[in-house]
Amino acid sequence: MTLDTPELDTVLYHKPEALEDYPFHFCPGCGHGIVFRLIAEVIDELKIKERAVCVASIGCTVTSYHYFNFDGLESAHGRAPAVATAIKRCRPNLVPFTYQGDGDLAAIGTAEIVHACARGENITTIFANNAIYGMTGGQMAPTTLLGMYSTSTPGGRQPSRAGYPIRVCEMLSTLDGPAYVARVSVHNPAAVRKAKQAIKLAFRAQLANLGMSLVEVLSPCPTNWRVEPVKAMDWLVEHLLPQYPLGEYKVIPAVADLKKESRRA
Amino acid sequence: MPKKILMAGNIAIAEGAILAGCQAYFGYPITPQNELLEHMAKRMPEEGRVFVQTESELAAISMLYGAAAAGCRAMTSTSSPGFSLQQEGISYMAGAELPAVLVNVMRGGPGLGNIGGAQGDYFQATKGGGHGDYRLINLAPASAQEMMDLTMLAFELADKYRNPVVLLTDGFLGQAMEPVIIRQPVTELPDKPWAITGAAGRPKNVINSFEMEPANFQPRVSLLLQKFERIKQNEVRYQGIHLDDASLVIVAYGSASRSALTALKMARQKGLRVGLLRPITLFPFPYQILADLAQKVSDFLVAELSSGQFIEDVKLAVGLDKRVELASQYGGVPLAPETILETIERMSKVTIGR
Amino acid sequence: MHEELIIGGFGGQGVLFIGRLLAEAAFREGHEVVFMPSYGAEKRGGTVWCHVTISDEEIGSLFITKPTMAIAMNSASLIKLEPMMKPESLLVVNQSLAPQEISRADIQVVSVPANDLAAELGDSSVSNLVALGALLAGRPVVPLASLTTALEGMPAKNKELLQLNKRALEVGYTRAQKDAVPHGRR
Repeated sequence: MTLDTPELDTVLYHKPEALEDYPFHFCPGCGHGIVFRLIAEVIDELKIKERAVCVASIGCTVTSYHYFNFDGLESAHGRAPAVATAIKRCRPNLVPFTYQGDGDLAAIGTAEIVHACARGENITTIFANNAIYGMTGGQMAPTTLLGMYSTSTPGGRQPSRAGYPIRVCEMLSTLDGPAYVARVSVHNPAAVRKAKQAIKLAFRAQLANLGMSLVEVLSPCPTNWRVEPVKAMDWLVEHLLPQYPLGEYKVIPAVADLKKESRRA
Repeated sequence: MPKKILMAGNIAIAEGAILAGCQAYFGYPITPQNELLEHMAKRMPEEGRVFVQTESELAAISMLYGAAAAGCRAMTSTSSPGFSLQQEGISYMAGAELPAVLVNVMRGGPGLGNIGGAQGDYFQATKGGGHGDYRLINLAPASAQEMMDLTMLAFELADKYRNPVVLLTDGFLGQAMEPVIIRQPVTELPDKPWAITGAAGRPKNVINSFEMEPANFQPRVSLLLQKFERIKQNEVRYQGIHLDDASLVIVAYGSASRSALTALKMARQKGLRVGLLRPITLFPFPYQILADLAQKVSDFLVAELSSGQFIEDVKLAVGLDKRVELASQYGGVPLAPETILETIERMSKVTIGR
Repeated sequence: MHEELIIGGFGGQGVLFIGRLLAEAAFREGHEVVFMPSYGAEKRGGTVWCHVTISDEEIGSLFITKPTMAIAMNSASLIKLEPMMKPESLLVVNQSLAPQEISRADIQVVSVPANDLAAELGDSSVSNLVALGALLAGRPVVPLASLTTALEGMPAKNKELLQLNKRALEVGYTRAQKDAVPHGRR
């Protein structure tokens, strides 16, 4: 049996130009690195590195601007959609996106994300949901599952004391403003490929001035879930997927047309 | 001939911002500054500029942060409770060295307070207000004309120092209509090579206020502190009235200084040698001017629409051996000139220090 | 010249409008002016005040504590205004809505049944301009013509209303000049 090997000087896989040569500081097995790479690939493919703006938020991804090779800025906890709103309104040619975690977007920043969606701001939000507060050390997030352990729900999340998890895509897709709302995951290669398609469509929606686009990415946090990185992927499938079903929650007709275009291409 | 029209203070601020080249305005309704927001809602789109009515003052300050980061002249306006909410974003802007103009049309507090004019946010505005080591330039207009002029100056100073500037005024001045000479529009805006404009043909720009390592962060804060020292050296502004022969000096800013001016005139009619020192910048505070005055004057009367905040800076400037008395109102009640006059007369009967 | 005017009345009586109008006219005559409206939570029918200072010097206080002139458009505002008035000051009273007696003997009182006169013109909502006309008759701080000019510069719903406003000013002015009704027992 012969293996069909490529020539040695053929590059099959390379670092996207939109990524800096800067080491990720994430824990082993964290999903953020995957999502960052997907965003960078999409920005390369859409050739918008000179217009892209990363609006980082507070949490593990506070220094997102270090990893991307384009303009970026920090925003206060939860306020990234407001910051991105102003950047887009002031400089419509730029392509700002927010990168927000579940504590940032679904707890302290609920007002900002809801109203950016309600206004139909022409921005993109990548929402990493790992159902836990990472940077502060594993406290309950608004998306923490019922019964799930966190350092602030030591006996597991009880609804009588700590309420219920928020389903962000389901909630935001009830609004008229968003053009595209989808939930994806990065637990296996097939899921990663779908995640990239959704992220790309979200950016394309912005480039076509169609309004707010939001992609929720279910992402593992092995450190605070207290499982090994590989098992974290299984844990995600077993526990997060039933609570947070993958799929497209809102696709306005103009975005559906964009999808058809890309299938034809 | 420049155009001169009768204008409410809140409107003069809005028009001043437009003349200064304000490219974006963000605000949330709160009395007594609503006329400003409403005026901008009409005028900014007319000028082809950005207006957003936000979901909260938190969102307003965050949008201001975004617009300033994008290199645009931008403004928000609010009143006391809203200014409290904005402290988070203000601290971020100071840390990230973003220039912008913040208008606080103060009302009675604490808490919900009421919608009368007041100066109870003095500490909050001039000493920091949010977390961390920073200062804001504070300008205190005392007339509708100054509402326009100092708004324009606020944009200049914000860009000059890359620092947020507060126009600290109150509900009374916001509502009062007075003649205003319309100034010439600013036509040339400064270049901002540091701004978020897209990394085309240049290395990427990053705006942040964060360094993980304290040892790396301290030098950054030191640079901020050096900037505040430069501001203290260069930007003190004040107005003095009848200071030359004064044996008693009233110190007051904003609408309180207007009541003080009337009290001064009444006192002079009674033959009392009263002067008025009106700080126009509250940060930087005119400490040295007051310290110099204290070389020849022993009696100071502070008139403020708060229960003794501004007086602390006056005492710091003139020293503990001087008599410094307070004539104040608070909780949204105007300060009557007669109240100040009574204090002048009482102080004049029993003189000290000479 | 230095005059300090307070106008009081119900919300909807046009208290702020006539204060603003007088301030505008005085400004156009070259005087320094401050127009200070009272403001409150949005509510129709509440008490409304405004302070207008007209001077040939730089104006200090935004607020007036001892008015040299006042217009009481209703009974509630008259009760508050009467004790505030400076000696020798001018108090215009809308007798239609403030019929009570006035005890101060050291002030000049001009009473006009502003609502009744306005109703005779066909619209009681111009009672405010009747009262302002009466004020001018009592103390000519600005020429009547200057007020009508200023009126033309103010936002008005239509031409007819503008004409009505002008007539109301004149009616108040004439009435106060010719046969000011002695107000109650002085």
